[in-house]
Amino acid sequence: MTLMSPATRKVLKSYSGYLFVVPYLALFGLFLLFPLLYGLGLSFYKRELLSVVPAHFTGLNNYTEAMHDAYFWKSLFATLRFVAICAPLTVTLALTIAIGLSRVKGRMQTLLRAAYFAPTVLTVSVAGIVWRWFYNSEFGLFNAYLKHVGMKAPWLTNTGWALASIAIMTLWWTVGGPTVVLLAGVHNIPPQYHEAASLDGADGWLAIRHITLPLLRPVLLFVIVMNIIGSFQVFGQTFMITRGGPEMSTRSLVQYIYETAFNNYRMGYAAALSWLLFLIIAVFSAVQFRLMREK
Amino acid sequence: MLRLVKRFNEANPDVNILMQRMDWSTYYNKLFVSGMGGRAPELFVLQTLAIPRFARARFVRPIDDLVAGQNPIDIADLDPNVWQAVHVGEHHYGLPLDIWPMGMYYNKKLFREAGLVDASGEPKPPTNRAEFMDAVHRLTRMRQFDTGPQQQWGFTFTYFESNLYTLMCQFGGEFFTPDLSRCIINNPKNVAALQFCVDLIRKEHCAPPPENFDSWIGFRQGKVGIVFEGIYMLADLQKQRDLEYAGAPAPQIGDRPGVWGGSHNLCIRADLTGKELDATWRFIKFLSDNSLDWAAGGQVPVRRSLRDSARFRSMEVQSQFARQIANVFYLPRLPFIFEFQTEFNSAVEKALRGSSSPQEALDLAAANLNKIIDRDREAGA
Repeated sequence: MTLMSPATRKVLKSYSGYLFVVPYLALFGLFLLFPLLYGLGLSFYKRELLSVVPAHFTGLNNYTEAMHDAYFWKSLFATLRFVAICAPLTVTLALTIAIGLSRVKGRMQTLLRAAYFAPTVLTVSVAGIVWRWFYNSEFGLFNAYLKHVGMKAPWLTNTGWALASIAIMTLWWTVGGPTVVLLAGVHNIPPQYHEAASLDGADGWLAIRHITLPLLRPVLLFVIVMNIIGSFQVFGQTFMITRGGPEMSTRSLVQYIYETAFNNYRMGYAAALSWLLFLIIAVFSAVQFRLMREK
Repeated sequence: MLRLVKRFNEANPDVNILMQRMDWSTYYNKLFVSGMGGRAPELFVLQTLAIPRFARARFVRPIDDLVAGQNPIDIADLDPNVWQAVHVGEHHYGLPLDIWPMGMYYNKKLFREAGLVDASGEPKPPTNRAEFMDAVHRLTRMRQFDTGPQQQWGFTFTYFESNLYTLMCQFGGEFFTPDLSRCIINNPKNVAALQFCVDLIRKEHCAPPPENFDSWIGFRQGKVGIVFEGIYMLADLQKQRDLEYAGAPAPQIGDRPGVWGGSHNLCIRADLTGKELDATWRFIKFLSDNSLDWAAGGQVPVRRSLRDSARFRSMEVQSQFARQIANVFYLPRLPFIFEFQTEFNSAVEKALRGSSSPQEALDLAAANLNKIIDRDREAGA
């Protein structure tokens, strides 16, 4: 029997942690870090798949072009509008549902939680096609109901309505995820706090405001950040439902990047647009972390 | 198509064709990327509009030697404009299988109600501008539907690209200079064609504004008298038993006949040789020879000999649409075709919705396309 010296044991102990993360690091490096850095490099090149001129370094040209590209700004504006409509609505609704569900006891809570989560398991293509039918101006479900009160809404055909309509569909489709996370957060709040508050006469809104929300802060931060990131990356819904129309009012930045890369084969420029989106998301996320940092 | 593949496989035991179906919306992306990775299928379909870019990327094999080789195909059996459309540089890059000319679908019941009939009482589709304007005016009125009183429209714009490209071509409009060095989409004839369409909505009130109307569904629901659509929409109508419809050539509204159209072309991977190439060409010839079976599903074969057959003549709508083949205008042959389509459709949409005047919308499209041309020239076009 051999005994390890304390120094050897210490070294092994410190390396064992790395061994556990190696599988993930390998996948992370191969499928995320490498493409990310490759994309960053590509963004400084003029690489067009249809060009007979080989790819060549152009410095910041792709980024300069984006600054003067009206379609970039239009799709960025559409994306920002989507984020502004969708993210607050999703978080507020998810929080409301989570707090409501936390007060429902037993099997009914499980049933309702499953019901709210159910749409999330649908793929974007299924959800998109179904809602495209719902919104159809001639035979859609919503206009069929509105017809009874003599109305017909231009859900997807009016530039002012289309993005909001897609945000409503997204709300239905995605609210289940954050609801479940927030519900878990609410359950983790020790019941003694609410009992003590109740004895002091703080119930209902006061308890939510002064106990639930402050103690949910880390979970809420996670949900808000993830939701905003997800909203910035909107693509599937707009692509399936409106293809970016009418008049490109729902063409998101990710759709523009996709079309630039895979319809127009401008890989360098698409990479630059992707990095601009990444920077925008990073700035938004940093600001949120700063604003909601624990004091 | 699957039945044709099965028949070929049975008749050719030395060849096994595996067919893969894909959605058009992502088809070209997947095909291009698979081509880049050397994993493209031996044989694939390209719409005519996509041929220049795939030819430039050198993914497609020219077929001139095969057409004139040991297993030849009689090119004289194709209309000259159809064969010319697959010509890029010095070669032809695919064998056209079918052609989809845009044409006119009309609601026979609404025509009869509006008194648009011939001497024998049969619905009479318009053939020129005067008849078209008369028809759309007489067809437009308020009427009682199952769901309540609603506007019945004489005409509606379905697919902006096909509808407007048709009218612009009929008005004599051009899109690029002959050497493709400048975009001239904003020329007065195109502006006039677009203005004519805007007037149908805003001035004549014979077509609904596109803001809140599903045009094709509206036609299927019997709320519209006339639409211009491709032959490929026939399959959709064939499913609908309660709609009395018919097909006819699009009326000549401008100074010359013309309709938007396209073709599916059978194309061969550039590096194919030997037995694989022989088998692929054998299959292409089989499909071309049997394209009447393909036509039954709502297509028009490009082979004139097949169109002359009694079987094709019995296909009512297809044979009507086929009368326009000599006047089919394909989209310009450009490597940046999708960018052209984006700009074209965007300009038309803005004008029809009233967001821009036709002149402003086409000026912007021309400016954007000229920037794309400059970029493309730099790319070594």
